[in-house]
Amino acid sequence: MAADPSWPLLLLDAASHVLTLLLVALGLAVTFGLMGVINLAHGGLVVLGAYTVFAVERAGLGFWAGLLAAPLLVGLVGLVLQILIVRRIQHRPLDTLVATWGVGLAIEQTIVLVFGAASHTVAPPFTTTVAIAGSSYPAYRLFVMAVALAATGFTLWLLLRTRLGLMVRGTVADRRLAAATGLPIRRLDAGTFAYGSGLAGLAGAVTAPLMSIDPQMGTGFLLPAFLAVLVAPFAGPLGTVAGAGLVGGTESFVSAVASPVAAQLVVLAGAVVLLRLAAGRRVGRER
Amino acid sequence: MPLTRRRTIATLAAGSAALASGRSLARNGPVKVGAVLEFSGGLELFGQQARLGLELAAAEINAAGGILGRPVELLFEDNKTDPKTAVEKASRLIARDEVVAICGPITSSARDAMAPTMARGRTPLLYATNYEGGACDRYLFVFNTVPNQELARLLPYLARTRGSRFYCFGADYVWPQKMFAQAEKLVAGLGGTIVGKELTPFGVKEFAPVVRRIEASGADVLLFALPGADGITFIRQAEDLGLLKKLTVGFLGFSEAYLGAFGPGKGQDMYVAVPFVASAEATGPKEFVARIRARAGQDAVVSHYVMTHWLALTALARALEKVGRIDREAVVEGLEGLTLEAPTGPVTIGAKDHHVTLAMFLAKTQGDRLVTVEALGPIAPESGCG
Repeated sequence: MAADPSWPLLLLDAASHVLTLLLVALGLAVTFGLMGVINLAHGGLVVLGAYTVFAVERAGLGFWAGLLAAPLLVGLVGLVLQILIVRRIQHRPLDTLVATWGVGLAIEQTIVLVFGAASHTVAPPFTTTVAIAGSSYPAYRLFVMAVALAATGFTLWLLLRTRLGLMVRGTVADRRLAAATGLPIRRLDAGTFAYGSGLAGLAGAVTAPLMSIDPQMGTGFLLPAFLAVLVAPFAGPLGTVAGAGLVGGTESFVSAVASPVAAQLVVLAGAVVLLRLAAGRRVGRER
Repeated sequence: MPLTRRRTIATLAAGSAALASGRSLARNGPVKVGAVLEFSGGLELFGQQARLGLELAAAEINAAGGILGRPVELLFEDNKTDPKTAVEKASRLIARDEVVAICGPITSSARDAMAPTMARGRTPLLYATNYEGGACDRYLFVFNTVPNQELARLLPYLARTRGSRFYCFGADYVWPQKMFAQAEKLVAGLGGTIVGKELTPFGVKEFAPVVRRIEASGADVLLFALPGADGITFIRQAEDLGLLKKLTVGFLGFSEAYLGAFGPGKGQDMYVAVPFVASAEATGPKEFVARIRARAGQDAVVSHYVMTHWLALTALARALEKVGRIDREAVVEGLEGLTLEAPTGPVTIGAKDHHVTLAMFLAKTQGDRLVTVEALGPIAPESGCG
């Protein structure tokens, strides 16, 4: 075998992978991690974001308009989803699981009907490269990383530093007490779910130029994102940041030194062990 | 009502008369052919391509007076890209619809799952997708390529023109593994080296580490066997990270269905070996594409899957006419050793191995098209069947 690729580049690749994963997991951290809704439609919502960019760009309005429209539109879809379905069965986790999975399938097949089954592409809005460690690194990847950091920062600020965030956390901590003190918990639920969905839309939109856009692309996102939320070493969205780092970092480095197959094995085996060890703690802190 | 000998005989006679009339009705009705294909669940793109070819073949057979005077009727079933569903649909077509044969499916897993059902029902399966080889049965016929047909001329060409250091990268399942095993043999014979071999699970979205490793290996040629959307994602990222400037991709399992998925001006100069090139200038392919587009629209994609599925049904009609009888065994007897004319030239079905010897074409991606580099002539399959 020839010389290994340089470490700065591997670090950059890993950071890119972790931050992309974080962006996808962030929405799930809100809907699943925070609200406890096992939202299997999350992958579908990511796909919807990617297709929004594709459709807006095809309509001649350009990439940036699509990037703006995706979180709004998908957030709206999330709102409708919450009001029509999730709200009614939220207290029955297994039913929620089946229902959101069904919604995911419906989204996927609707996309097949509207856009066809073939893969599509969205060209990156800029194709400049930056010279890093003797290699030319696509600037768009740096942009995706920046968006992931900004979205995470904004979400954390919203949750931890604003009155709205305090109300959301209060509702999560004790619904009955929150309701008794007059918090509009139904509207908070709907808004939180819509926000998490909007994040999924943003994730799909911003990563769209990096990959093939097809109706099934959500599946590849859903599993690692759930893992990132599940293995989060401590509660809350900040835990998800650590979880994404753990899952994405391991995957990227094992993939770099061994192979993608080994990476997936290590991540899944690691998740099983971690969840087994932390099972009691997790259940304890859920509610 | 007491059971008397007379009554029993009368009942039996009436019953068998009814049976006989049912049979004769089937004899005068259409020749039913099943098609179990992926119309949803992930591989609908290929299912749709197969359908285009089958429908054209059926229309042409019927316009020419049918099979021995009887029209052919296609019964399409969606297997939802799921082997279990494929088996259920096949059982129903065999038992209820009494089809003479079934075309499809696309995936090897569905084909392997269906094989015992087909053998038990003594009904031929006409499989027209490129696959890893080694599927051998009296009731199985293959109308597309096996690894050696894609690789035998592609690898020497790439070694000669691009360099002899090969890197193999593909999905972690049987088809890429068999492809790479065949490639290793061929590359050794060419005096080249395999500088790396690597498989990936499906659903991976981030290929940067793999791209770096391939780049560091100093390979001249990347033998690439990652089908579908993941393949498109890899090529996009390899392009963005500058890998495609440093080596040439030999894209295994390519078809025109991929074109346009890489983005304008991307994924250029990738080499493939295929049994059909839609942009070919020769009369045969040109007319075939025109016939498909007259039915399916002017911008319809016409990949080799369209041609091979057309070939499967057309061969079935020729086989039954050759034998002069319409039943399942006649399909098998007639197909064994049959030679027929495809848009790309003569195709011969092996009498023993049930795989096809057919013309192959070396081609490359250029602009938004796949263009022929060299007509390779007929290549016989190394099917792995005695």
